[in-house]
Amino acid sequence: MTSTTEKRTKTGIFALFAVIGPGIIAASAGNDSGGISTYSVAGAKYGYTMLWMMLAMTPSFAIVQEMAGRMGAVTGKGFSALIRERFGVRPTFLAMLLLLASNAATTIAEFAGIAAAMQLFGVSKYLSVPIAAVVVWLLVVRGSYRNVEKVLLALSSVFIAYVVAAFLAKPDWGAVAVSFVVPKIVPTQAFIALAIGLTGTTIAPWMQFLVQSNIVDKGTTVKEWALARWDVIVGAIAANVIACFIIITTATVLHPAGIQVTSAGEAARALAPLAGHYAEALFAIGLLSASVLAAAVLPLTASYAICEAFGWESGLDRSWSEAPLFNGLYTFVILTGAAVILLPGLNLISIMLVSQVVNGMLLPFLLIFMMIIVNDRKIMGRHVNGRINNLFAWTTIVVVIALTALLLGMTLLGIG
Amino acid sequence: MFYLTRMLGRPVVDAAGETIGRISDVAIATREVFPRVTSLAFLGPEKTPFMLSWRKFVSAIDDERVTLNVTRDALRFSYLQPDEILLARDLLNQQIVDTQGMKVVRVNDLKLSESRNQLRLLGAEVGIRGILRGIHPALERMAERILRLFGAELPEDLIAWNYMDLLDRDLSHVQLSVTHKRLHELHPADIADVLEQLSPAQRAKIFEHLDNSQAADTISELEDAFQADVIGDLGSQRASDILEIMDPDDAADIIGDLPYDKAEALLHLMGVEESGAVRSLLGYREKTAGGIMTPEVTTVAAGMTVQQVIDHLRGEAAENESIYYLYVTDEDDHLDGVISLRDLVVSDPETLVADIVKKDVITAYVEDDQEDVAETMSKYDLLAMPVVDENNKLLGIVTVDDALDVLEEESAEDLELATGQRAKAGITGIWRWVSRNGWLVVWSILAVAAAATSSATLVLLLAATVILRIAEDMASHALSRVIEAEDEEEKLPAWRRFAGDALAGVGLGLIVGLVTAAIAWLVSSEPGVGIPGVGLAPRFEVAVAVGLVYALSVLLLSLASTVIARVAERIAGRGHRVSGMVVTVSLMVVGAVSFAGFAYIAYKIVPTLSVVG
Repeated sequence: MTSTTEKRTKTGIFALFAVIGPGIIAASAGNDSGGISTYSVAGAKYGYTMLWMMLAMTPSFAIVQEMAGRMGAVTGKGFSALIRERFGVRPTFLAMLLLLASNAATTIAEFAGIAAAMQLFGVSKYLSVPIAAVVVWLLVVRGSYRNVEKVLLALSSVFIAYVVAAFLAKPDWGAVAVSFVVPKIVPTQAFIALAIGLTGTTIAPWMQFLVQSNIVDKGTTVKEWALARWDVIVGAIAANVIACFIIITTATVLHPAGIQVTSAGEAARALAPLAGHYAEALFAIGLLSASVLAAAVLPLTASYAICEAFGWESGLDRSWSEAPLFNGLYTFVILTGAAVILLPGLNLISIMLVSQVVNGMLLPFLLIFMMIIVNDRKIMGRHVNGRINNLFAWTTIVVVIALTALLLGMTLLGIG
Repeated sequence: MFYLTRMLGRPVVDAAGETIGRISDVAIATREVFPRVTSLAFLGPEKTPFMLSWRKFVSAIDDERVTLNVTRDALRFSYLQPDEILLARDLLNQQIVDTQGMKVVRVNDLKLSESRNQLRLLGAEVGIRGILRGIHPALERMAERILRLFGAELPEDLIAWNYMDLLDRDLSHVQLSVTHKRLHELHPADIADVLEQLSPAQRAKIFEHLDNSQAADTISELEDAFQADVIGDLGSQRASDILEIMDPDDAADIIGDLPYDKAEALLHLMGVEESGAVRSLLGYREKTAGGIMTPEVTTVAAGMTVQQVIDHLRGEAAENESIYYLYVTDEDDHLDGVISLRDLVVSDPETLVADIVKKDVITAYVEDDQEDVAETMSKYDLLAMPVVDENNKLLGIVTVDDALDVLEEESAEDLELATGQRAKAGITGIWRWVSRNGWLVVWSILAVAAAATSSATLVLLLAATVILRIAEDMASHALSRVIEAEDEEEKLPAWRRFAGDALAGVGLGLIVGLVTAAIAWLVSSEPGVGIPGVGLAPRFEVAVAVGLVYALSVLLLSLASTVIARVAERIAGRGHRVSGMVVTVSLMVVGAVSFAGFAYIAYKIVPTLSVVG
């Protein structure tokens, strides 16, 4: 018995709140720049139409997160280490390429978020992005992001404001309820792409690596997992609830007015019923802090995972000469992310959207790795997946691959 | 030479030339330094696994296949023996501890050598080479060829069997070779180094192998940040047993870092005496003499004879942390003096302690700063220093190992203060660069401020940064020439130095010119580059002009630095002090002025060119 179990078993209901509290905050902040923009665009462009997807995706998301956490608790190892030990070098190389691509794409989106937020304050991206790159890099190398983390988390939880804004906007709740349960598809490329992006931002591949390594680092054992899993599950559900409110708000405020979200300023207008003139400032603060936080966490996640897979030395307390690849990797991801945004003439919102579509397309392949591992009795013992877990996860995999194939086909044939 | 990754999947052919399966694994006997391959595992039709003795049935092995010496019907299958392990299952892709390099690594491949049909394991390949080969052998060859172009080799990182310890599979029941070095047989400090690289679950596994006294030593050697975690993760009973064995001062440090509940639980489980010692230490403030001292002091009374003291040492005092100094106290524990072990050994057994005691003892007050204590100890070369309260009552001693830790810790902290950088993060090199180039930061802030007037100024100021950096570099060279003025023969003749600088200048000009051209082509959609107040200028000419401006500025700087160095040498020769600041600043001014001058000339000339061209 370790200290955490002793503490947790002692006080029932309060312990549960203590456990799920951080999960909810983390999840609301987990809606990073890619998430905010994707949900905003979905609401503004298609109204309530996409809400049913959010409902369908919530169990999948919770289940995938739970699987990742369970793998960490049972094996005490990260996802990439398990991939390496189960599949060998070649598939690992592929998986790590996927992770790096997903991660780099999202990091680019985070810098796009920083640039967009600062533009709302009237600062040019040529000034804000280089400074942000240096700040983020310093946060990472000095390991001080853990200190700043809480501040950023608190600031980015302003997105909870969407919940209030949704009520103030007085949506037609009947229509909202119907949209949640009645599936509707618009047969255009844009809609399919957005659906993939919605999946990619909700069940982001890098998040599975992060959840698992968090569980491993905390030293959570299988016994403790019984309670800790609720943290992960509740966090996942909370994140999706907030995402739904973002869609409802933008669908109520922006969609009827015919406003297409092509810039952060337009996305911010959805908060006008709540914050009035301060909508832009509120939106910008949330976007900025969520983006900075994610821009520090993402490259680090990739770096840790890849080094774990290939047995390279890693850790923030290792110098450049001790762990050149570890330090090089996150530096490379941060620099690339910032450099791409500095290219002139980019539309920041499209960058954020595209990165999430990339995430969505890569997701099924990493999920396949996860499914094989989590169902391997030699690795998971009696903690292999139950039937419901497998059903939801495989459905997600099949649906996303089908959507990707559909999008490819439509693009090639010029339909929609 | 064979590599396991290349052997797996190769066909297994029987004496009749018929393929009966594909290699899936090989087993080795673990008892040797270079273990023999003892069994061959292969997958037959429909993936049925088989295993057979290598010695009995394998007649030949080459890059293509394994050939057996009998036909399929004559094969007798076997099972994995208790002292055998499977290379692909137990080693390949797994994490192992390199007990020689004290690192945790992952096995990318296994290298085997063949002699008379006998395969032996040479070692585990843990370097980049194995990864490349694993992805595709062609990739390895390509990397090798590319590196050879640069005169480098692709190194092979091999760890021999006797320097491996496996983390995952519990091999405690497997008899390893006599020379085998297991993790838990290493020095506690080395074990601690390895443990810090592992995840909590893996750490817990290792601790299962360590006995309590090894575990206590290892935990003492861990970085502070890990200590409380490790103790916290152990079971309470085991944790309290280990804490009992540790020196009370170390134990108090760890318990002080634990959450209150856990700390109390552990103290309750510990023996009365040990927990008392720890509790009394917990009352002292951190970073003071009281915080780092141990209460285990060897005290003697003034009235004892030398023989009595020696008997006392052999008896109850034998377990104390330090016995090099014996402290003489009265019945109320007031410190009266000190005798050293040396005094004791060279004295006649009948001598009274009172006759050899030294009265002037160097002591520390319990509230003294730990750094002062350590400084004093190193100044007087003390192995231990007594700690007293305001009434001169002896409370404990600070031993030399704790003092060393303090010095290490404080120097790290001082570095932190000086550079604003945690020494642990290990990027001191980069930070030194940043702090040395502080003017760059000031410069860029100024540049941004100036940019408020016009964006052209910003571009110009930022462009001049490179020149200023070069000026600073040349200044430091010039200064080092002045400082090492006596090494006349090592000095390069002026013309060669100048030629070198000229070459560097031209090179820089070329690079900057190319970059400018690239930017001009990429950014500007118009046929030329917009120059404020003039209009459009042709891209090519602009690039050449920018390159020339840089090249000429560097040349002029080089000339100036030669002159300034001469002047500085002359001044230094007359016995005056040369201010590095003045040299640097004057070179920077020369650099800035020449850069601005050349830029102005270019600004005037380029537009006229565009008219001509």
